[in-house]
Amino acid sequence: MKKALSLLMAMLITASIFAAGAKEPAAAQAAGTPEDPVTIDLWFGAAITEAGMIPEDWIGYDILRNEHGIDLKLTMLPSSESDQDMKIQAAGAGNALPDLFMVRRPVLENLVNQGLVAQVDDCFEKMPVRTAQQYDADSIRNSSFDGHAYGFASPGAIAKNEGLLIRKDWLDNLGLAVPTTLDELTEVLRAFTFDDPNGNGIDDTYGYGAFVETDASLKGYPGSRLWPIMGAFGVEGLWCFDAPNQGLSIFKPEFYDFMVYLKGICDEGLIDPNWLSYKKDDFRAAWKQGRFGVMYEQNAAYASESNYAPFDMNFPDGEWIIIDAITGPDGHAAIGAYDMNYRIYAVSQKAADAGKLDKICELLEWMSSDEGYYLLGWGQEGVNFVFDENGTPVAGDLGDNAFTGSKGQVYTQLRNMVFYNSDVELASRYPTYTTAVSGKEMSALAALRQMQGMKWTSGVGSGTLPTPSADVQRYYDQSLAEFLSGSRALTPENWQAFLDQFKAIGGADWNAEGIAAMEAAGLVRGE
Amino acid sequence: MGRTKEKQHRRKVRLTTADHVFNIIVDVFMVFILIAILIPLWSTVTLSFRPIDFIGSNLRGMFLPPWEWSTKAYEGLFANDGFLSAFANSFKILVGGVACALVLTIPMAYVLSVQSLPGRRIINMIVIIPYVFNVGMIPAYLLVKDIGLINSLPAVFLPGAISTYNCIIMRQFFVGIPMELKESARIDGCTELQVMFRIILPLSKAIVMTIGLFYAVSFWNDFFHAMLYLNDSYLNPLPIFLRNILIGSGMNENLEVTAFAESPINAIKAASVFMSAIPMVIAYPFIQKYFTKGTLLGSVKG
Repeated sequence: MKKALSLLMAMLITASIFAAGAKEPAAAQAAGTPEDPVTIDLWFGAAITEAGMIPEDWIGYDILRNEHGIDLKLTMLPSSESDQDMKIQAAGAGNALPDLFMVRRPVLENLVNQGLVAQVDDCFEKMPVRTAQQYDADSIRNSSFDGHAYGFASPGAIAKNEGLLIRKDWLDNLGLAVPTTLDELTEVLRAFTFDDPNGNGIDDTYGYGAFVETDASLKGYPGSRLWPIMGAFGVEGLWCFDAPNQGLSIFKPEFYDFMVYLKGICDEGLIDPNWLSYKKDDFRAAWKQGRFGVMYEQNAAYASESNYAPFDMNFPDGEWIIIDAITGPDGHAAIGAYDMNYRIYAVSQKAADAGKLDKICELLEWMSSDEGYYLLGWGQEGVNFVFDENGTPVAGDLGDNAFTGSKGQVYTQLRNMVFYNSDVELASRYPTYTTAVSGKEMSALAALRQMQGMKWTSGVGSGTLPTPSADVQRYYDQSLAEFLSGSRALTPENWQAFLDQFKAIGGADWNAEGIAAMEAAGLVRGE
Repeated sequence: MGRTKEKQHRRKVRLTTADHVFNIIVDVFMVFILIAILIPLWSTVTLSFRPIDFIGSNLRGMFLPPWEWSTKAYEGLFANDGFLSAFANSFKILVGGVACALVLTIPMAYVLSVQSLPGRRIINMIVIIPYVFNVGMIPAYLLVKDIGLINSLPAVFLPGAISTYNCIIMRQFFVGIPMELKESARIDGCTELQVMFRIILPLSKAIVMTIGLFYAVSFWNDFFHAMLYLNDSYLNPLPIFLRNILIGSGMNENLEVTAFAESPINAIKAASVFMSAIPMVIAYPFIQKYFTKGTLLGSVKG
């Protein structure tokens, strides 16, 4: 028996050695002609993941093959970032990365360290149109490590697209003016809570509405929905980039003052008490049901046709207006902090070794040409879109085939690879319309422009700073929640004890690493 | 006869006040559990029928009269090619996966149950080690890649075709079958394969159905392997499609264009969750009698 087992083990070991030694045969280099096209495997972030893949009859495939000698193979990445990361990392570990793929910066850094991603410093000059549209110094820095670019960082979501909104009809009903200082805001919140601003005789309203919206780079707890109030204390944004206070905002004394103010309005009942448990959808349902009169909201979530319709139906006489930042006791004022968002596309070293880099540049440059831009952004003219009198692509009478329709939208799945938030895109995305019930003229684009014109604090570079470990993050969030909910008394002693413990468990290291990264990237202001 | 005796015995038992109190507490607790299960279920069903112009709280939505319900979410879902192809892919994975899993698990469990198998302890160890120490995502990915399964449906079910846990449960069942039955079959001239197919399997319907259901549920719900190994969107199964709806729709908040413009996105989410649960809900009553028997096997000694 032992002999048989030994023999079996020996056979297994030998087989695995031979299997490991076997190499995949090298593919012959394609000529890059229509007859012998270069295959480019692209893993992309789809514009509407739930809508499905670009159909095989898409004209773009033919154009690329016949005019550029490129055979494009598309794979839609999963919709969640963590799933994307996992898929990319597994493919990286298996040396099975595609030629061109979308990747988040932390994962890209790992792949760069493993030598799996190609340097693309020389590629920008091969793509003059695309580089002019999409890649500026900030963007190149976002995909660079040790002074070399390892990816193409295109503009992502629009920056500064949120604002502070207030119910003007409630202000008018109560004879109040738009608040400009923190004291005035507090009075307005008090009146909205206790003075029956909607005149229905029921105590059913609150001053401020919010929910906890956080991330590990820009929106520290209690989150961006409180930014206009944090801005009044100068502590908006997770990180402060202003010397000599550079580092985590929580270490600024003003953060404690902000917490005291916030706890005060919580205790007085001026903020919707559900704010700590609301999810985004709950919060949005709440303002549409008239629960509160002051909020921080995104331009399209507030003003686009489908999003505004329920509020319009509920309150035909209701009106939200966008107001500027509230000035705090020391003169601070900011609507919030903003970072530039990028979508990074990287080229695998395997693709570069196979001589595909030039063809990849050709593909990206074509995408940003007039032909590629409109084809990827809106589909085929006359089939999926038409130009209106202003030169803006619109759906017209194209029905389901229009880029907004159920059949047409799949042809625009690659649009995030070409969009760079141009005026044409925004005009097309946010058309002006008349509301169904109240007949108001609304435009999410007008709201966006107004929001962008308010006082903002630059947090550009926040996305490149180190993120905390899960334990540190949990301690940070949980402790602040405990202070706000009252389970821990908010006193200077307790606050200091919290900061000491936070530093001890890793907060100090996180802060030091962040400051070092800021300084290395030249992000500190006023030095 | 036995049943009648049992009934008579039950009639004779007189419940004390403490028994009644205990029973009431148990009943109240069970009603509480029932409500706790029914509320989210009912909430999901009613949410899936909520019209786009509905305004009101979730609570009001749960008691919306049926004549105000809208089927737009389901119409949108069925009009989406992705949903139908994902459903078909999930079904293929389910059928292929359960078939493969049972074909591999039954002989494996049977072999491990044979007391006279040479090297039985070592083989048992080899089976149990990967159960205790998971090999991890990357080695599994490398294996699937090297055997050429990337971007094919078998990649989703083949790596998990033998679950150690299910195999051990089945082995225990086979061990419990009287040795005399197998020996008499062998005396009558059966080979080991014939013993397995003609004697063991007909006696093991309950455990086969139970383990089959375990496999079916795990393959039907498997998101992770499909996400990792499938690149072609046309191969995506239902859990991927579902996740794309649940996450993707939330990411498009700043866009007017979504895949389901005619229906409220929450109704679409609820409808897709409900639809994906239906096959298992339908299958369960047919398997329940075996399932109850199968899960109880081996739990009572003596």
